[in-house]
Amino acid sequence: MSSTCRLRVNGDELALAVPEHWTLLEALRYAAGLTGTKQGCDKGDCGACTVLVDGQPVLSCLTLAHDVRGEVTTIEGLATPEGPDPVQRAFDVSGALQCGFCQPGMILSARALLSRQPNPSGAEIREALSGNLCRCTGYTKIFEAVRLAANTSRQVPVRYGQPAQGFNVIGARGRKADAIKKATGEAIYADDIALPRMLHGKILRSPHAHARILRVDTAAALAMPGVHAVITGVDLPTPYCIIPWTPDETALAVGKVRYVGEGVAAVAAVDEDTANRAIAAIRVDYEPLPRVLDPRAAAEPGAPLVHDTDWKGRPRADNICKEVDLAFGDVEGELSRAAATVDAEFFYEGSTHAPIEPHCAVATWNADGALTVWSSTQVSHYLHRELAKVIGVHTEQVRVIQPVLGGAFGGKSEPFDLEFCVAALSRKAGRPVKILYTREEVFYAHRGRHPMHMHMRMGADASGKLTAVDNDVLIDGGAYHSFGLVTTYYAGQLLTGPVDFGTYHFRSRRVYTNKPCCGPKRGHGSVQPRFAFEIALDEIAAKLGLDPIEIRRRNAMVSGQRTVNGQLVPSTGLHACLDAVETASGWRQRHGKLGRGRGLGVATSMYISGTAYPIYPNEMPQSGVILRADRSGKITVFCGANDIGQGSDGMLAYIVAEETGVPPDAITVVSGDTELTPVDLGSYSSRVTFMCGIAAQEAGRAMAGKMRAAVATAWSVPVDEVRVGYGSLFHGERSMPAREALVLAEAALGTPLSTAGGYRTRKIGGDYRGGTIGASPAYSTTAHACEVAVDDETGIVRVEKVWAAHDCGRALNPQLVEGQIEGSVYMGYAEAIMEAHTFDERGLHSGPNLLDYRIPTSKECPDFFAQVVETIDPGGPYGAKEAGEGPLHPVIPAIANAIYDAVGVRLRRIPFTPDRVLQAIRGGVPC
Amino acid sequence: MNDFAYARARTWDEALSLYEPGAVYVAGGTDLLPNVKHRLVKPARVVAIGGIPGGIDLATELVIGATTPLQQVADSPVVRALVPPLAQAAQLVAGPQIRAMGTLGGNVLLDTRCLYYNQTEGWRTALGYCLKAEGTWCHVVGGPKTCVAAQSSDTVPVLLALGARLRLLGPSGRRELPIRDLYRFNGMDHLAIEKGELLTEIVVPRPPVAFRGSYQKLRTRDSIDFPQLGLAIAAELHGDTIGALEMVVGAANPQPKPVRGLEALVGQPLSPASIEAIADLVYKQTRPQGSVHGSEAWRRQMARVMARRGLEALGR
Repeated sequence: MSSTCRLRVNGDELALAVPEHWTLLEALRYAAGLTGTKQGCDKGDCGACTVLVDGQPVLSCLTLAHDVRGEVTTIEGLATPEGPDPVQRAFDVSGALQCGFCQPGMILSARALLSRQPNPSGAEIREALSGNLCRCTGYTKIFEAVRLAANTSRQVPVRYGQPAQGFNVIGARGRKADAIKKATGEAIYADDIALPRMLHGKILRSPHAHARILRVDTAAALAMPGVHAVITGVDLPTPYCIIPWTPDETALAVGKVRYVGEGVAAVAAVDEDTANRAIAAIRVDYEPLPRVLDPRAAAEPGAPLVHDTDWKGRPRADNICKEVDLAFGDVEGELSRAAATVDAEFFYEGSTHAPIEPHCAVATWNADGALTVWSSTQVSHYLHRELAKVIGVHTEQVRVIQPVLGGAFGGKSEPFDLEFCVAALSRKAGRPVKILYTREEVFYAHRGRHPMHMHMRMGADASGKLTAVDNDVLIDGGAYHSFGLVTTYYAGQLLTGPVDFGTYHFRSRRVYTNKPCCGPKRGHGSVQPRFAFEIALDEIAAKLGLDPIEIRRRNAMVSGQRTVNGQLVPSTGLHACLDAVETASGWRQRHGKLGRGRGLGVATSMYISGTAYPIYPNEMPQSGVILRADRSGKITVFCGANDIGQGSDGMLAYIVAEETGVPPDAITVVSGDTELTPVDLGSYSSRVTFMCGIAAQEAGRAMAGKMRAAVATAWSVPVDEVRVGYGSLFHGERSMPAREALVLAEAALGTPLSTAGGYRTRKIGGDYRGGTIGASPAYSTTAHACEVAVDDETGIVRVEKVWAAHDCGRALNPQLVEGQIEGSVYMGYAEAIMEAHTFDERGLHSGPNLLDYRIPTSKECPDFFAQVVETIDPGGPYGAKEAGEGPLHPVIPAIANAIYDAVGVRLRRIPFTPDRVLQAIRGGVPC
Repeated sequence: MNDFAYARARTWDEALSLYEPGAVYVAGGTDLLPNVKHRLVKPARVVAIGGIPGGIDLATELVIGATTPLQQVADSPVVRALVPPLAQAAQLVAGPQIRAMGTLGGNVLLDTRCLYYNQTEGWRTALGYCLKAEGTWCHVVGGPKTCVAAQSSDTVPVLLALGARLRLLGPSGRRELPIRDLYRFNGMDHLAIEKGELLTEIVVPRPPVAFRGSYQKLRTRDSIDFPQLGLAIAAELHGDTIGALEMVVGAANPQPKPVRGLEALVGQPLSPASIEAIADLVYKQTRPQGSVHGSEAWRRQMARVMARRGLEALGR
């Protein structure tokens, strides 16, 4: 029942026609158009929808609109004509905003705190923000921002730090390109898009883990008033997969369902309530089939088959979706000769990305039959290709736009059912259609961390030199292939540095099970074996009486070395990283000496900066950048890269600023739009800074060339004597603002100024089948030390501090690099201590919501100390390498190793829940 | 949420008059609305009582209006001085926003919770439903008879330990009920109140001068989470001697669990031996069920540890 709802919002008296069962969140977003208030879970578990009522933070998703009795302040109402609120500006300049999706709520909670307590303690800040979950930052820079806002007067100045020696911009600490828009609620995310006549779509999902679909009856749904289109699997039968060799998935289930939560049918209706009623009216007859949930059972002969045939229609004999077996040297011989060996089983539990923004897509078709899809994707280009294929139109009829993205971490790096469904429903209905996943659906979409069973054997000689590693991995893939081929290789291929070893064998098998499909979560495929490896290495050190840092030094790879599996590592800073965490943690004085219940642990890792080969073979550049300069003195950067909150737009602006002298704030980045921007393959495998960076560098240099030539002509000096500096071009004592140089160049050339750059793949990788998978043009290196307190009586592990030293090559913007390190460490910490994406014997998720699937709050999150180590890489842009995934890996084994230091038990299974830890302490078998 | 009608009450009497079968009351909404979104509750009418003034009043007894927000209880100088464990428990409920919205009355009347119940309709369909909602089987105990969804309030164990009383207003008039008599061992129907009956005030007797007490909460995260186990202690200590002792375990069962046999310890000194004996009593009587997160065996062991630590802290 709708009635007039009178709300006082941001100083306005609103009279809105709002149904009486609507929440304040719905009224604000849908009726008042105030989309700065975000929907993250819609159940009061995440805090993204926080608004102030009479200055008090409340959850708008749990407040009935008609029941609001006070003055509402949303993020849009915080700024004044004088400018943003100091809290908003502090979040902007501190790098506290990555994806920005949780931040309107977070900023309002911070505002409320500072209004009642202008100078809060650290504990008060943690407490006040503890109802607002952030998935990007590890809260570190958020705390800094609140302290900054607390300690400054009305306005926090925008400023950039000092650039590195010899650079104009590179190396300067600075804000993210889009941060202030995110801080003020101006940024438009996919769910903020509302088109005229737009319908709302919903997907009906399977209640069975494995069942044959006998009949789908949509008649009743279609007959309902307000329902405009209904589709089922047969409407979109073309199989697809992010890996073009293994298309085993359809947009909606065809023939059978393979996990609880798989899409079966979809509807588009005038509003969400009608769409929900419509999917409830669809009748599906299922014939339940035997399900297989444990990967060990799934790998057995005779197990129920998740897929009866492969994608070519050939009958399948088993559930093994990919197997890799590679050997480098005589592992067994070395193990038999080793002075110390470890032989142990490990289990790495699955976890999921849980971005605070649920996936969302909007589609519309124009009168000429062209499709536009806005989607929260991190791979617009692949989505473009797959949409054309599945929808059955040519790629020239499809445009994919990535709006501002609210967190991804790998969870939005392939096509999802909603993107195909909005396109198909929109075509059928002749109207735009939006689908926003519920929080539950985000868990079913998943593509998160694969559970892995690992059998690790390791041997070393008496000096601690590692001689052999054998790594046998069984990977629980879930129902579909996803990036499975890559995962299966990565589980072995990425283990071979920065700690070097003499011989190596790995066997890696990924099996299908009747669960949501796993995929690439930050540190794709390699976080799990790294966990086993770094614990085993610690055990070897203990057996040989070596210090855990020392054994890593003795086996440290050096720059320019090849790994045992034949990958060239142009640069590695392991020694520097180890030195940094050794000093910062007080390791020498404290390791092994903190008394029972307190311990220090260390671990290391290496990660790729992009992969040498694109997902589909082609000779075109992996990344392209086009620059367009304008007479106003601004440059627009066009690049297909997907800024997923990590700050790639800012990175592009920095590089173009560096090359052209135009200040970063005068550079606009247009990214992730397949119609406007040259192709970049997307944000995955930590490729963006390296590859888009090189493309931007090339385009920027070309632009600078035109500017310098014009200046040289004007001043009658040799062009190679004209230098680009910050904001200006120089010759000796003379200078010209960059903006004037652009005008001069345009006049001289007689055409608008435009340049292009690309990243072209070099041929690299080991000379064997699969040797190119895991081959990267550059590798980052990380070392972590952490300090834990273990309660002997409860088993509760408190991770108090993590010192994370990460070699990212040249840090282009150290503030953003630190943010990536802190966010990575946070995510690894969470996997180690609390997260578990698990299923019961029915294949039912153990709690697909943010209350049962716990992600850390600001209160228990450890203190993170990020240290940037710069080992300049010969191939990277200005020597830069990746920073977004590598720093996740070591924290999990470092915590395990610290627990060993604290209480003398080895934990070989995550998460380290108190009951498991207590059982291990009491001598039980760690479960 | 289903399409319901909204009505706002300004007084308790008006709230009662707006009640009709199929209606529910809402104060803070933090417990009710997720359940409505999960389609566990499908009200035809929602009667909002959050606008009825609450408040904290100390006369001969401490009287707290049911609509008083939890954060106000936690911050109240009167509550903090007189009954610190109540302030402590209120401060440990969920996160800041939920404490600002949720009320003490709502926390007392909190619906029982279970991993098989507090889920979406789609999830529960896949489960085949449960005894508490639309089904015939309890998945926790594996049987068709008893629902063991847990009473998961943080303030309730404290209010029980303090001997609080509830003032109720219902179709058959006003009455007062000791909070101890409110809860039944039945997760489906755990509140001994009539349909339409309203909780208007919570009355906490003035504790004695020698009062000591605490509330401890077991949870994974330091915010947001419901308790995996709660333990309230209310004692009188005369020097080292136990003058009185009440302990109540929460979040283990549909009913908060007052520990029995503690009177035997009255008159004894609070010593390592007596603490161990009490902790043993608590352990033996605590039988957590798998309706909430965390293994039952571990949560049970934690009851002993929490009891020991809580008692040790009393002496300090």
